[in-house]
Amino acid sequence: MVHAHAHEFAFAVVIRVLLAFSPLESFLQDDNQLSSSLTSYSRLLEGVYLFRQHGIDPYTGGTFRHSPLLLSLFSTVIPATRIPPKLLWTFFDAVSAWALVNIWRSRSNTRKHERDLRIAAIYLINPYIFLPCLALSTSTIETTLQLLVLLFASWGQSSPSLLALALLVHLSLPAILLLLPVLLLLLSDPLSHLASPRPFPQRLGKCILLFVEFAIFFVALLFASTLAAGGWSWMRNTWGAGILLPDLTPNPGLWWYFFTEIFDHFRPFFLAVFSLHLSVYVVPLCIKFQHDPLYAGFLLLGILGTFKPYPTLSDPGLFLSLISLFPETYRYLRYPMVTTLLHLHALLLLPLFHHLWIGTGTGNANFFYASTLVFGLANGGALLDCTWAGLRVAIGEEKDGWVVTQE
Amino acid sequence: MRLHPFTFSFLVFFLRIVFIVKSADTDRAEKFAVHRSLSHHAPAVAFESAHTNNWAVLVCASRYWFNYRHMANALGMYRTVKRLGIPDSNIILMLADDAACNSRNHFPGCVFANRGHALDLYGESIEVDYRGYEVTVENFLRLLTGRVEPSMPRSKRLLTDDRSNIFVYMTGHGGDEFLKFQDSEEISAFDIADAFEQMWQKKRYNEILFMIDTCQANTMFSKFYSPNILATGSSQIHENSYSYENDDDVGVSVIDSYTHFVLDYLEGINKTSTASMEDLFAKYDPVAIRSHPGVRSDLFHRPLEQTLITDFFGGVAHAEVMTARVTEGHTNAPSLLDSPFAEIDPINEGSGHEYELVEALPALADWTRDPLTITLRAWGSLSVMGALVAWVTLKSRWQRSS
Repeated sequence: MVHAHAHEFAFAVVIRVLLAFSPLESFLQDDNQLSSSLTSYSRLLEGVYLFRQHGIDPYTGGTFRHSPLLLSLFSTVIPATRIPPKLLWTFFDAVSAWALVNIWRSRSNTRKHERDLRIAAIYLINPYIFLPCLALSTSTIETTLQLLVLLFASWGQSSPSLLALALLVHLSLPAILLLLPVLLLLLSDPLSHLASPRPFPQRLGKCILLFVEFAIFFVALLFASTLAAGGWSWMRNTWGAGILLPDLTPNPGLWWYFFTEIFDHFRPFFLAVFSLHLSVYVVPLCIKFQHDPLYAGFLLLGILGTFKPYPTLSDPGLFLSLISLFPETYRYLRYPMVTTLLHLHALLLLPLFHHLWIGTGTGNANFFYASTLVFGLANGGALLDCTWAGLRVAIGEEKDGWVVTQE
Repeated sequence: MRLHPFTFSFLVFFLRIVFIVKSADTDRAEKFAVHRSLSHHAPAVAFESAHTNNWAVLVCASRYWFNYRHMANALGMYRTVKRLGIPDSNIILMLADDAACNSRNHFPGCVFANRGHALDLYGESIEVDYRGYEVTVENFLRLLTGRVEPSMPRSKRLLTDDRSNIFVYMTGHGGDEFLKFQDSEEISAFDIADAFEQMWQKKRYNEILFMIDTCQANTMFSKFYSPNILATGSSQIHENSYSYENDDDVGVSVIDSYTHFVLDYLEGINKTSTASMEDLFAKYDPVAIRSHPGVRSDLFHRPLEQTLITDFFGGVAHAEVMTARVTEGHTNAPSLLDSPFAEIDPINEGSGHEYELVEALPALADWTRDPLTITLRAWGSLSVMGALVAWVTLKSRWQRSS
């Protein structure tokens, strides 16, 4: 693979490393927008400390919600301190950017393209991506894994892709939504077929073997997790957190405020509804975009970013950066300006209202909740627009006298 | 087979922070020995007070500006019991009129109890629970018996239990077996006696100190018939109680003689004081008070020499020292400490008290918390992950080359 634009790429990475060592970091650590209770680095350090120094099961309390795989990784190979992880997180982001560029290259079937550097820049300089990286939120690792899954699937390499997906699901359970588009992508190709929809070319029976391989990886990692954690209690704290929502720390998502105000006897019902809501998008999107599973995966990442139980800014940030992979849809986006401005609006409001509420105490939770609603609106708007554009590409140019509408 | 190793580890962690007393005496005695940590006595168990919390009900039953001294009485008692440790949440202060914000008050917002208006009893940090027309006989009796409307807020309820010592202080205009409330109604000695009996039946008090400063005050406690009540009043039957002094700028009498006397005595009492009720009663001087105060202690089971002033006037917290020794064997302790490996045996402490933070179960072998096992587990998990990655890499290499 020709490493074009390698110098510019390295330069962008160096800038990121310098940012990582800036004093900016002290403001960003444990910020609620950048790390949720599932991804906070302080909680990871706490869990590793309890585990290593005192042999206490970190899953008995409510602070540590990371996967036992991260527990074992950070208590053995990676030192759980403050300096080396900064380099490591920047490395993760660099890998993500590289993966993004290579996905683009697979999709456009080129080895070097003029847009490569722009795509890498859109990823590395996206504030939704680099701020959580500076805050050492483990959502950066999740983003890297998500991009690696898509990359290996685009390259047609099933085993690395499924292993990365298994790792990703262990870190963040809602990512299981990506299984179906990844399987479809492995069986087809990442090239852009948005303009020419056709039924899925392969027989779906081949999925079964891939699914079995994924299941084997998943179970092996399950064993590794149980070995590290020394029991089964970790499941309730990690995966269970996304299903039972025990922790209502504010985050840029839409779940937390709702669950602070509902009555307890409705809680199981609404938990089921919210979780089901995430899963209902998988099959319809995969059916509708069966001709271009990468696009289906992209839209599902957007769904995840908007409706995840404990999102951080990096989940919708990934979605926004992935838009750069689909330039064929740009001309059919109906309201990109509105969505951009909404995102800008939300990006300014979220930290402002969070500070007003929690920092100075002059605002209240509704301020921040309103800004998360704006953020959700921005994400939802971007999702809808991209869905429309992806479908619209198939129809092509408007002929004179004809207008394309939706029934 | 251990089903939940980390549940045990969690319990073991808690057991490690149990306090243990080293004692040479290993004989079993009573289960719980109540030990007065602040007392200089070495009292026998029977004469110590068994109360765990203190309440005060301070009632000023008369209104109008010229009864300023009754409000100052109640406020003086209020400040004293607060100083000695009873918190606002445990004080019910009933003032039938507002002297502080009365239009005739030359010092707005202030109530003084001494000539020279030096010490303001009202200004800061005050919580009046029943004010103005809320101070009625019905409200007072409902307060005592606990039979209040469901809408009555917690701050206006007497939330006592069977281990509460209550100091009930009443002041106003009274007579032979009655006390005037608000210039419109009276409460009789029988009413209060019956209310106290209801409280006893409902286990709403451990001991009551009833103090009353009115004319012919001693008649008000003549009708009590419930146990554990110690009563004292300012004057006998057919005798008036007098005010103590006037303040020329306030323009009315600012304190009553008996209450001034008692407050003056209590000024020398602090939370650690070991002065007894007998000391207070022995100090009564009919000449100085200008009436004959009375004491009724026949219903009170403890000797007055061993009843501390702070048992009623103060909110002194008692520490119940439960000594424990951890032994192997079967447990009969509560569920949190329930484990087949430990037992908490409460034993009577000896004379020497040494408190140590000791590891409760040094002999427990918990292989899952062994540092070596932890490292092995972490590395094992990491190696599984590494093996998967290696296998996948090799497989793809092999696939690519073939």
